Amino acid sequence: MKGDKLYIFLFLTPAFAVTGIFLYYPFVENILQSFYKTDGFFNSTFVGLENYVRLLNDEIARGALFNSLELMLYVTIFQVGIALILAIMVNSITKGAGFFRTTFFFPIVISGAAIGLLFTLIYNYRNGLLNEMLVNLGFERVLWLTEQSSLYMVAIPTIWNYVGFYFVILLTAIQKIPNDFYEAAQLEGITGMQKMFKLTIPLIVSDLKTCIVLAITGTLKIFELVYIITKGGPANSSEVLGTYMYQKAFQDSAMGYGATLAVLIVVLGLTLAFVTNKLLQRDEVTY
Amino acid sequence: MKKFKWSLLLALLFVVIGLAACGDDETGSSTDDTENTSDNGDDTSAEETEQEEVNLRVVTTMAGTDPAGEVFQQVLDDFQEENPNIKIENDSQSADAGTIRTKVNTDFSSDNEPDLMFYFNTVDADGLIEEGKVVNLEEAEGVDLSGYNSMLEQQRREDGNIYAAPQSGFYEGLFINKKLFEEHGVELPTTWEQYEAAIEKFAETDIVPIAASTEDSYYVVEHYILAAGGMENYSAALADKNEAWAEGLNNIKKHADMGAFTPDAATIDLALAQELFKQEQAAMIFEGSWFWGQLEEAGMGEDVTVLPMPVYAEGGETGELVGGASQGWFISTKAYEDEAKKDAVVSLFNYLTSEETIIKIAEATGQPPAKGELSDLADYLKAGHDLVKNAPAVALPINDRIYPESFTHMRTSVPEIVSGDKQGEEVLEKAVEMAK
Repeated sequence: MKGDKLYIFLFLTPAFAVTGIFLYYPFVENILQSFYKTDGFFNSTFVGLENYVRLLNDEIARGALFNSLELMLYVTIFQVGIALILAIMVNSITKGAGFFRTTFFFPIVISGAAIGLLFTLIYNYRNGLLNEMLVNLGFERVLWLTEQSSLYMVAIPTIWNYVGFYFVILLTAIQKIPNDFYEAAQLEGITGMQKMFKLTIPLIVSDLKTCIVLAITGTLKIFELVYIITKGGPANSSEVLGTYMYQKAFQDSAMGYGATLAVLIVVLGLTLAFVTNKLLQRDEVTY
Repeated sequence: MKKFKWSLLLALLFVVIGLAACGDDETGSSTDDTENTSDNGDDTSAEETEQEEVNLRVVTTMAGTDPAGEVFQQVLDDFQEENPNIKIENDSQSADAGTIRTKVNTDFSSDNEPDLMFYFNTVDADGLIEEGKVVNLEEAEGVDLSGYNSMLEQQRREDGNIYAAPQSGFYEGLFINKKLFEEHGVELPTTWEQYEAAIEKFAETDIVPIAASTEDSYYVVEHYILAAGGMENYSAALADKNEAWAEGLNNIKKHADMGAFTPDAATIDLALAQELFKQEQAAMIFEGSWFWGQLEEAGMGEDVTVLPMPVYAEGGETGELVGGASQGWFISTKAYEDEAKKDAVVSLFNYLTSEETIIKIAEATGQPPAKGELSDLADYLKAGHDLVKNAPAVALPINDRIYPESFTHMRTSVPEIVSGDKQGEEVLEKAVEMAK
């Protein structure tokens, strides 16, 4: 037993050291910085809770928070929803499943920056793909990125980017369901829709739950697509917590306030993950 | 399978041992270096043919798309050829997106400062200077500051010292596609009235009058404030809440309503705005003298001319410019105080700030040099240099001298000013509040 403990200690130490140095230490340092007015380097003044008070009264931060939550809603519903539909469809076909699997998974391997640039060029007013098509068809140009539409416009590539990830998880889950279940149901005369709602979905609910938690917490990390496509604009209409934090910390050299925003993102992420886990908790299905 | 695992473990072990060995090697060599250094240093009487080797690290913004990058590397190579005992690591990084600021600040705060750097002598260098991280050049032994034009004096800080020696200056102005103006029969805008008339006329065509990003509105904000206030008000402190600043911001809305900008001005960035101008889809753009490089690459240098922003303010004068020399060569205190490096770093500094080198680099960028003059300039470049020469007053961009958050607030609020959601006055009020 004593020997076992030594091994446990030995094997866990590197992981502890790495996470400690690269995750927990910076996080603690980040919390400390949030109590300072600092550029993160040379100018540093202790301001107590001033940054947190500022956060409470900051309209842009509030807007960014609501935008992040709105984006979270779209992402969760559409990313996981579309992924589920695609997975069920691909599972039910016999020919060409490999092709679809590759096609749907493909966006995952493209970097966010490249997708951002792609959509910037698609939405561009004067020379963009969409408007060029409209002009060629004899229509007027449309301003795709406005204060009203910008959030939806960044939600589209965000959803498209990650659908493949959840699609693969759900497809694997569906393929793990033993065929006996379907055969038995077939004998009972189950229809296609019933098969989906009464059999497939209940049997992969724990995987769905994982996907939803991942989608929700992942949304808080959204940065590059928004930053490249709209930079949070116009007029902060598509600002999310990630882009606002970046602007404050790195562009405005207000590292202290940026750190405060980072604390908000972490607290929000943990709370949401906890709440989602609680809400979706139910008995695991085993087969 | 088991065999495979063992061989994998063995391979990993070798990698770890290899890495550890490499680490030792490095420490070993650096110890050797130090030993050699001290040996050589002590043994001054002996006429040694072998000079001690010195490694210097230089950080500049002459990298990426900067046309000076290649010439700068050549200059460093020439210096190393002349001084075989000095090895230089060129750790330059593009000035785009402000990442150079983070790099320099990180380097200095983690005791890994470059020995010599070409960096912004603006609000960005405040922390470095206050902490004594860079040398006061006028008091530094061996540093040669002779031969400079007025750009050197512009580097003097509030404490009366000079910490940065300029390489070249820059100017900002209204870049105009002469060809489009001629084709549409529009007068070149040398007065405010002509400027507004040009906006109106181009707005009636398919040509965008001004290529600009209202979110990345650095140059637009500066020039509209200059037009509304003249140099006296432009140079005012943020805390003064100068009325001309608010008026300038409100004028952007007035002109946006006249159709001055592309409808997606709030979401395009500077690069896309530049593309509009380069593809001849826009007639004017506010840019800096560095933009000539891109125009030449696009083969349209001859079609473009640069004019000063028409100033309508009482007491102001058209011809006043945003510009100066905001970057300079700094010597880090750490390198200067290191006896082993001091001579080498001063020698490299003097080499880089010699008239010959300054001209060589300025030739690549077309910028007005801080020493001497460029010869054989293309007419369009010469026109720009003449603007600087004849300018009644030149001042640095606003964002170089005010609190960064305040300026970001001003420029990112322009889309809201344009949409009518905010007024120049309230934006300015908030910017002042942020700087407190």
